[in-house]
Amino acid sequence: MRTSRGVFAARVAAQRQLCAEHYRLTLSVPGFPASRPGQFIQLLCRPPYASSAPRELTWGPDSPPQLSDPELIDRQTMLRRPISLAGRRDSGDASEIDLIYRVVGTATRWLTGAEPGAELSVLGPLGNGFAPRGAGEAVLIGGGVGIPPLLYLAETLADGGTNVTAIFGARSEGLMPLRVDGAAVPREPAPSPCIADLPPQARAVLTTDDGTLGVAGTASDALLEWLRRREGGAAGLTAYCCGPEPLMRAVADICIERNLPCQLALERYMACGMGTCQSCVVKVRDTNAENGWAYKLCCTDGPVFEAADLLW
Amino acid sequence: MAARAMQPGPPEEMTIERNDVTTDLSVDIAGVRLANPLMPASGTCGYADEYADFVDLERLGAFVTKSITRQPRAGNDYQRVVETRAGMLNAIGLANVGLEAFLTEKVPLLRRLGVPVFVNVAGTTVEDYVAVAEALEDVDVVRGVELNISCPNVRAGGIQFGTDPEQIRRITGALRSVCRRNILIVKLSPNVTDVTCTAAAAVDAGADALSMINTFTAMAIDVERRRPVLANGTGGLSGPAIRPIAVRMVHEVYEHVARQAGVPIIAMGGIQHARDAVEFLLAGATGLAVGTALFVDPGVLTHLQDGLADYMRRHGFTAVEQVVGAVPVMR
Repeated sequence: MRTSRGVFAARVAAQRQLCAEHYRLTLSVPGFPASRPGQFIQLLCRPPYASSAPRELTWGPDSPPQLSDPELIDRQTMLRRPISLAGRRDSGDASEIDLIYRVVGTATRWLTGAEPGAELSVLGPLGNGFAPRGAGEAVLIGGGVGIPPLLYLAETLADGGTNVTAIFGARSEGLMPLRVDGAAVPREPAPSPCIADLPPQARAVLTTDDGTLGVAGTASDALLEWLRRREGGAAGLTAYCCGPEPLMRAVADICIERNLPCQLALERYMACGMGTCQSCVVKVRDTNAENGWAYKLCCTDGPVFEAADLLW
Repeated sequence: MAARAMQPGPPEEMTIERNDVTTDLSVDIAGVRLANPLMPASGTCGYADEYADFVDLERLGAFVTKSITRQPRAGNDYQRVVETRAGMLNAIGLANVGLEAFLTEKVPLLRRLGVPVFVNVAGTTVEDYVAVAEALEDVDVVRGVELNISCPNVRAGGIQFGTDPEQIRRITGALRSVCRRNILIVKLSPNVTDVTCTAAAAVDAGADALSMINTFTAMAIDVERRRPVLANGTGGLSGPAIRPIAVRMVHEVYEHVARQAGVPIIAMGGIQHARDAVEFLLAGATGLAVGTALFVDPGVLTHLQDGLADYMRRHGFTAVEQVVGAVPVMR
């Protein structure tokens, strides 16, 4: 019964800095349940206390825990941090998951020091992922730390025979959380195979707010221009988006105007990730509700929502 | 570890191994027998449905539901939580499905748990509380009503009832006459000058048990945007940051009110590890509830059980009651 999600002991397989703010962390998680792009994990950004009983203090007759253990020893965060899956590989019982995170505070700063072999506690996989609409053509719009779940999605879509175009943006060249072939990056919204982290058949447009790499402007600007140039406009397309809220709102507006189906992966502060703390609310249209809307939970109802349903 | 080496060593008797004795973790909460003292704090385990993937729910001592109100409540706007040093603030706003949906949709799940269920009840008027408690009298799996008169995150009701001894007497008295089969547990607010006054008011008016403490009213400000972090403005502080205050309050109420009256205390406030659980038992608690730590580790309640049994074996305790209040009173 306990196969869909759970708490798992993971080991750091590899960690690499991608750019000024982003790191790519690969975890080996034996027995990690089946997952989908758009799902996330809750990662404990501090060491489990003892490897034999990861959630309890060592309590032997000669070393009873003291009042100061553990909360005064280090400056550590208490709650887990939600991080979306950026990829996954399985062979036999062994599973590896990729996470790309941005260093924003105490928890993620601690995480940068996790060496290969270190043990971490993973809770997941959580949430509903993207719901790919079969073969056809997909456009993936990502901004900054919203890009990682779209890498996992691109892989899955490409495996299923979908044509993938990615439009990824960052504030500046040094903040792009990707392995980029700089020489191949187009300066206009004409997709090319310039990202090593995408499947070989996928094409991408990169944008930077300051114009230091790819197209100057935001990913939503580039989406507009790409759609304008595309034969048939938005026909036959499905859009998938994750990024800062202003980007997602802009993309949602563009898609709704063109009747282009669009799924967005939202981000919310949350304590548990399991549907119990009720903190990660998202305002969603609900025709059954008196006032026409209801709160849904980002963690269990999302994090992926249809653009047309969102009231933000 | 250097920090540990500087601590004084344990007293001699703590090192004696006493593995030959049997350890009984069961406790009695006003006539309801629990297999062990550990339960989730209200609002941190939903209605049990979400946790089935992570926890052997049948290993809980009891299950405590999220607050139920007469009508459904959507709750507060986003942002509802923020982590603070060794704790967190929340202002959920009693979001819940309401009494009717609780009875039809959630009770069947709770029946399957096989452990006593305490239902946390909230409202804005005494009539609201009475209506919900009345309906719960007929639900077999429910064994107790936890009266939430201490929620800091709603504008009307909640904490308004919980900080004034007169109001506590009035509402506890009203619920007392309704709760004939269910035990009546009054959940106390820590946002008072003297918690023994509010505890005494609840006990005088007929509370079968006390649970303490709810969260501390608190606030975090986003200094860059110059506005409160939480949409509600203020929130309730929970987690290890509040534990020493909770321990003190439990001990005060045990010494001055609960022990003489024979009223058990269900304690909560930052329990993360077994030593924290033992600390509350020593302060005078009979039941133990865990909230914030469940968000981090959904399996924490069973780990605490094992840790508590370990402690009792090492110290030669055979029943939890022997640990309750077993510290000298310092005056």
